[in-house]
Amino acid sequence: MRGGPSDTEVVARVLGGDREAFGLVIRRYETGLLRFATRMLGSRDAAADAVAEGLVRAYRHLASCRDPSRLRTWLFRIVANRCKSYLSRRAVGDVPLEEAPPVADSTDNEASLERAEQLALVAQALARLSPDKREAFVLKHVEGLSYQEMAAVTGERIPTLKMRVHRAREALLQVLEDHA
Amino acid sequence: MNPIDPRVHQVLDGELARESLPPELRRVVDRLESAAALLAAAVPPQGAGLETRVMAAVRRPAPSGDRVRRLLRWFATPQAVTLRIRPAWSLALAAAIVLLTLVPTDERAPALGEHEGIAQFVGRFPDAHSVHVAGSFNDWRTGTIPLEDRDHDGVWRATVVLPTGAYEYMFVVDGERWVPDHWADRLVEDDFGRENSIVIVRATWR
Repeated sequence: MRGGPSDTEVVARVLGGDREAFGLVIRRYETGLLRFATRMLGSRDAAADAVAEGLVRAYRHLASCRDPSRLRTWLFRIVANRCKSYLSRRAVGDVPLEEAPPVADSTDNEASLERAEQLALVAQALARLSPDKREAFVLKHVEGLSYQEMAAVTGERIPTLKMRVHRAREALLQVLEDHA
Repeated sequence: MNPIDPRVHQVLDGELARESLPPELRRVVDRLESAAALLAAAVPPQGAGLETRVMAAVRRPAPSGDRVRRLLRWFATPQAVTLRIRPAWSLALAAAIVLLTLVPTDERAPALGEHEGIAQFVGRFPDAHSVHVAGSFNDWRTGTIPLEDRDHDGVWRATVVLPTGAYEYMFVVDGERWVPDHWADRLVEDDFGRENSIVIVRATWR
């Protein structure tokens, strides 16, 4: 169980003028947001930019967060939109997603290298999906959101999201079987 | 692309027990879950810490926002004004006041800067106990700009001076219900999936 004040309490503190309390929000959610953005964009630099921009926007619009108890979903929505914005304006000639370097463990033993290879394979398969399907798969299976939470993040209907997740699973499985 | 057996999707969606699957379908579930587990590994931070970067922006005052906030605060706060004048001048001042009061004039607008204009917010909320306007001009603070319903007809109004520009805003009814102004100049969807109204403030300086 997570310790510390609830999201509602932290939001109230920030809105009450304690802007340093926003650091709690960052520490609480940066891991998930960075991972999500990295899987969406295929680049840790771009992901860090998207998350940073998203968090600054979140701070500036915090008063309009209607339900602070669902802060996590709200932050994912903002960062997801930052990622879509980045993908839509990505210039021709940028590093394509499937060529982006994989995110590997820092240790250098045989097991971790094999793991890095597997991760590269899965990341490349993920990168071949359309952004909508990639987003649905990552939110569901990497970030562990429910379909209701995914609907809040994406603004899509649950049947649409289920269909995207199913198609993403099929595409990923195909790639994994081709390389088995 | 081969379709996956629907039961695999049901297990992965938590709608069916894994034990009900035959071994070959369990292997499919395992494979997909392993792929997701690889992707779920934490991404190590890159370069300057995210918190440092974001907090630097958070601590930096937004120049335009501060200016607007100061302006709004000035208008909302009673200002004490002390005048020290010689008795002889007081007669001239009294005459000037009489003149200004009696001579009809159309110059009733407040003195505004070259880059300032007046924004009027009007909304009909017959059952509301309070209505505020929150927007990009006041950092979306909910309690800073109240609307008034002086004649109790359910129509709430506020007039504020703002620097020229386009602003997104919403009404906040009874402190909790966020309502767009459908009579606004424009409506746009924001990053958070809501429809915000847009007001365009033009210079009224002459």
